[in-house]
Amino acid sequence: MKVNEVPQDITYYEGEKRACYALNDEGKYVIVPSSGWSSEEVVNGLAVAELAASLEETRKAVLSGLKSPLVYHMERRQMTPEILGKTAGIAAFRVKRHFKPGIFSKLKLSVLDRYAKALAVYGEELKTVPK
Amino acid sequence: MNTELTAAGKPFVHHHSAHCESGVTSALFREKGVEISEPMIFGIGSGIFFGHLFFVKMVGLPITTFRGLPGSVFKKAGKRLGAKFITKRFRNPQKGMDELRQLIKEGIIVGLTTNIYWLSYFPNRFRFQFNGHNLIALREIEGGFRVSDPVLEHPVDCVTDDLERARFAHGPLEPHGFMYYPASVPKNPDIKKACIKGMKDTCNMMLRIPIPIFGIRGMRFLAKRIIASPQKLGFDEACRHLANIVRMQEEIGTGGAGFRFMYAAFLQEAAELFGSDDLARLSQGMTAIGDIWREFAVVSARIVKQRGKSEDNFDKAGGLMLICADREEALFRELHITVRKLKA
Repeated sequence: MKVNEVPQDITYYEGEKRACYALNDEGKYVIVPSSGWSSEEVVNGLAVAELAASLEETRKAVLSGLKSPLVYHMERRQMTPEILGKTAGIAAFRVKRHFKPGIFSKLKLSVLDRYAKALAVYGEELKTVPK
Repeated sequence: MNTELTAAGKPFVHHHSAHCESGVTSALFREKGVEISEPMIFGIGSGIFFGHLFFVKMVGLPITTFRGLPGSVFKKAGKRLGAKFITKRFRNPQKGMDELRQLIKEGIIVGLTTNIYWLSYFPNRFRFQFNGHNLIALREIEGGFRVSDPVLEHPVDCVTDDLERARFAHGPLEPHGFMYYPASVPKNPDIKKACIKGMKDTCNMMLRIPIPIFGIRGMRFLAKRIIASPQKLGFDEACRHLANIVRMQEEIGTGGAGFRFMYAAFLQEAAELFGSDDLARLSQGMTAIGDIWREFAVVSARIVKQRGKSEDNFDKAGGLMLICADREEALFRELHITVRKLKA
């Protein structure tokens, strides 16, 4: 890759720039900041869209009463029941149990507190999802 | 490039780097007065690698790696350059944060391993659950820390809460608040000897691991899987897999083409150090291979975007990877011969 080939396609990193190694005119390697590459945007966009789509699906499931809001907040933090369980200090099988709305609504405050801390979602927010 | 002051009032120069781990390690060496670049650390620490871990899944997709295990560059480079590092892990987050505060108050800059998701100064697109991001804490500020994250252009502020979460995140490869700082760094490390060690190790890792998912064999293994994937997984699923490979190659702080350009930069620097034309030629070879990896990314992105309507297909993408495998095999075999002739 030459310096003038370093992609500057789009401002993809929200103003940040990423370092790329490229050859300058004298054939020496230098660091060139890149503002984004369209090929990267395509593949990364696919992953981001996938996450957003599954999160939206979960949100709808929560609103229709199929899942508890805990699932939504966990997915928003890109966690799995195992990671969330470890962070909150609650066994993974219990976490999965709390995905049922009926069980979730009866949880003690102390358990909710631990989830809130683990997910950095506080107060009433944990019990709701954005409308 | 910009300068910051540590708590002791010593200036610290922030260098924009491609990769977090080699960037942090090189910064720690520089702070101790040993001028050593990021590619040099990357080469000495044998950073370049290939592996396709089809059985380890992240968000349901297999992991493809273009470098060694997180932490290995730091460990290997430190050892080969004869530096002693103090490393610590903590059970208690509070203790971990207190000790960090204590150290930077004394003016020591400290490398930290963190979970990138919780670092909110990153653009949202970079944030995902990955427990292997490295950064340097410079000094404490009100409500947080001033940190030098080598992947970013400038030092940034990090909120205390963020940093604590990031250091003590859970999941695969838990950092447990891992922190490291140099205890002693030799004034004039034997860089030549370290380079030779690093290159030999790299050749072994790329050519001689007798498991078919690592090194050159791993590339061929993955290339064949790519070619077979549309029949095996269906077009959409195959696209997801292909896109994930390209993400791993380009996205995650690689300096382009899955670290291949950074390694070419290392070979170039080594060529100057040893005055070796062979190494200079190998560096050019590595650049050419990197360009093929970029082409692989372009072709893959086109497949994903146009949903098979263009003439690009999985056979072409897999074929490009097979070319990369052949050329890298030849290159590392030659490097293996060249390195034995070098004198430390």
